[in-house]
Amino acid sequence: MNATPVFRRILVAVSWSGLGLIAVAVVLSDFLARAAAGTAHIGPLLDPPSAQFPFGTDQLGRDILSETLHAMNVTVVHALPAALLAIVTGSVFGFVAARLSPPLRLPLRWAMGVFAAVPALLLAILLIGLTERGYAAVAAGLAAAPIAFVRAFDRAQMSGKSVHAEYARATGIAPAALLRRDLAYEVRDTLLATTARAFAAVTIILATVSFLGFGAVPPHRDFGLMIAAAKPVYVQAWWTAAFPALALLIVILLARLAAGLDEGERA
Amino acid sequence: MTALLEIDDLRVTRPGVARPVLDRFSLTLNAGETVVLLGDAESGKDIVLCLLDGLSGRGEEFSGTIRFRDGEAKQASRKPRPPFPIAYLPAAASRPLNPRVNAVSQLVRVIARKLECPRGAALAEFRGALARLSGAPSFELLDCAPERLDEVSLSWALLAAACAATPELLLCDHPFLDLSPSAARALTDALLAEQKRLNFAIIYAARGPQSVMRLSARTLVLRQGRIVEENDAAHLIGGQTHAYTQALFKALPQPVPDKPMRSSRGEPLLQVQGLGLNTPLKKTVKAKDALSFELRRGASLALVGEDGSGRRALMRAVLGLERKPGRILFDAVDLNLLSEAMTARLRCRVAFITSADEALDLRMTIWDTVDEPLRAHLNLSRDLASGYREAALKRVGLASYDGRRAVATLSPFDRRRLLVARAIVGAPLLVVVDEPLRGLDAMGQTTMRDLLMDFRAEQQSAFLVITSDFAVAQALADEAMVFSEGRVVERGAIRTLLENPKDSVTKALVEAAAIRPLPPASEPV
Repeated sequence: MNATPVFRRILVAVSWSGLGLIAVAVVLSDFLARAAAGTAHIGPLLDPPSAQFPFGTDQLGRDILSETLHAMNVTVVHALPAALLAIVTGSVFGFVAARLSPPLRLPLRWAMGVFAAVPALLLAILLIGLTERGYAAVAAGLAAAPIAFVRAFDRAQMSGKSVHAEYARATGIAPAALLRRDLAYEVRDTLLATTARAFAAVTIILATVSFLGFGAVPPHRDFGLMIAAAKPVYVQAWWTAAFPALALLIVILLARLAAGLDEGERA
Repeated sequence: MTALLEIDDLRVTRPGVARPVLDRFSLTLNAGETVVLLGDAESGKDIVLCLLDGLSGRGEEFSGTIRFRDGEAKQASRKPRPPFPIAYLPAAASRPLNPRVNAVSQLVRVIARKLECPRGAALAEFRGALARLSGAPSFELLDCAPERLDEVSLSWALLAAACAATPELLLCDHPFLDLSPSAARALTDALLAEQKRLNFAIIYAARGPQSVMRLSARTLVLRQGRIVEENDAAHLIGGQTHAYTQALFKALPQPVPDKPMRSSRGEPLLQVQGLGLNTPLKKTVKAKDALSFELRRGASLALVGEDGSGRRALMRAVLGLERKPGRILFDAVDLNLLSEAMTARLRCRVAFITSADEALDLRMTIWDTVDEPLRAHLNLSRDLASGYREAALKRVGLASYDGRRAVATLSPFDRRRLLVARAIVGAPLLVVVDEPLRGLDAMGQTTMRDLLMDFRAEQQSAFLVITSDFAVAQALADEAMVFSEGRVVERGAIRTLLENPKDSVTKALVEAAAIRPLPPASEPV
């Protein structure tokens, strides 16, 4: 065994542990936070990081640490179902679609390829426009789905064309049985990585649409909305945006590392 | 006469390995002489080759002495530095070249380094060596990336490069492994002709006794790092002393006792009518070359020929992997006219055993691999299915393995046995067997051959055997069709083909298989 896979495995394990800690923080956010979400005038306005307020306060005197914990809760709670939606409508559907008859699968692959070429953010904004702001998580999930679809479709096609699949068909193993087999091993071997990758992708989309004002609705602020709210004062009070941005970066980085860091791929 | 090489009482130990990987190894080799090192993968023959080529692993410790020609006997070391040129001839199957860089340019670079000459001169040497090899392909054919060359052509290129380096000692590392008998024979003949011309000595590492027969040379049989028997080829073939040597020599083509022909009995199971076989070299098929034959229930037919002769195209057509002009009826039903679901229901009575490494899904476990045909074809209770599975695994010798082990962790030989177990549980009417012994060592070949013969005898399935080796054909089939350039050049009972081959292709294949003629039917075997 060479060093690279070992290092990679350690990195993945550490990343999953980090995500586990984030999950604990999300569950306990109400207990860990000093104040309820959106509580203003808890301290002086724009107070820099100090022993009393480790992340400082914002222009309304809100404790940034408490707000960051609440924002993490909102972000994760929205991102998880969005990631699930992306996996089901993208990965699972893509995997099954690859085994449909050519007249069905080829147009599907083409259409999804076109959607995958469009930036997922624009797709999410478009979907929010067609529904409403409260559906940002659904929009993010659906926007991330085409890329997941294309990736799963291509993997499934490769697997379907493999020599062992060809020989199994030649000896009477039905296509449905082969699909079940491939799906089972796909879930076993890639579910965790796919979930982490989808989670990273939808977190980026959700944070960005919120930053642009199409996502989370106050008082339930997520990271994007926190960073957006800090725009007017960021030059004078860097901590108002830097800490939520750092927290967002850590969440995305851990998810991508947990997915195995496929640098060549889009999240 | 001074020996070219004298190794005395060589012992090699490797860190982390309890016993020595080579122990009490002594060898004297004269100029122009050939020595075969025969044994399985762990026998220690590779250690000898690596040592002489200066490629021993770090951390290995040596004792004993090596003396080259007129020099002093020196303590064995990682880099023994012989005073004469040594060349190395690897197996094409081991993919020794970068697959995407031109094969000739890679080989010429090696020759230039060996001869310490400019590349232009090395290229001329390579061309000259290639031209001298009788039966070698043209330079133009080899002037491409190795990934575009078949293993036989690549073997010729490697042999030409080794000879172009004008060595005094040639280290042959299973050079013609997994090639068809006739290709291996042609290459061996060319190697021996060059040896005669250049008078180099050969140390030839081999897994199976077929190489001993082809080279007719002094042979050292190694087992777990020790020489267990040493003799010249004629004596070894005539009779072996050590039990390990006897086991290895069981892999040699044996005349199979006369068996009742089953081909004329029973209903037709497989009928091929007017099938056109195009091959890589023959893109169009004439009507007169269209193939028709039938295989009856319980009968066995071998499709014998070299790679690219058309037999594999026929196999793919029979398995439904490729569509060809003509009709293929399985159990009197034209499979091409049925829906996919109906075809699957009929095809479940077909089993496939192949030497292709990718034939099994490496992600699956042993149990899942054997269970899959049972689950797909029969509605059995869990207990009954598990009983069938265990019985099949026991028959192939895998019952003691942990059934939850992934196929990826099994050796090629175990994977091949697993394929047989998977075939057995399906109780097939037709078993398609594609080069079943290719890639196995001598013991594996013997076991696999016995397994398949036992399978055929017990289950009464019809066998369609694709092979380039008449020895395999005669062990597993009653009749044979000999293929060349996409058409059948001769067909008939194997016994007749072995005794009286008419076509030159058949003659070459029979000769390469080196089976002794079977005694007449009336005589006891």
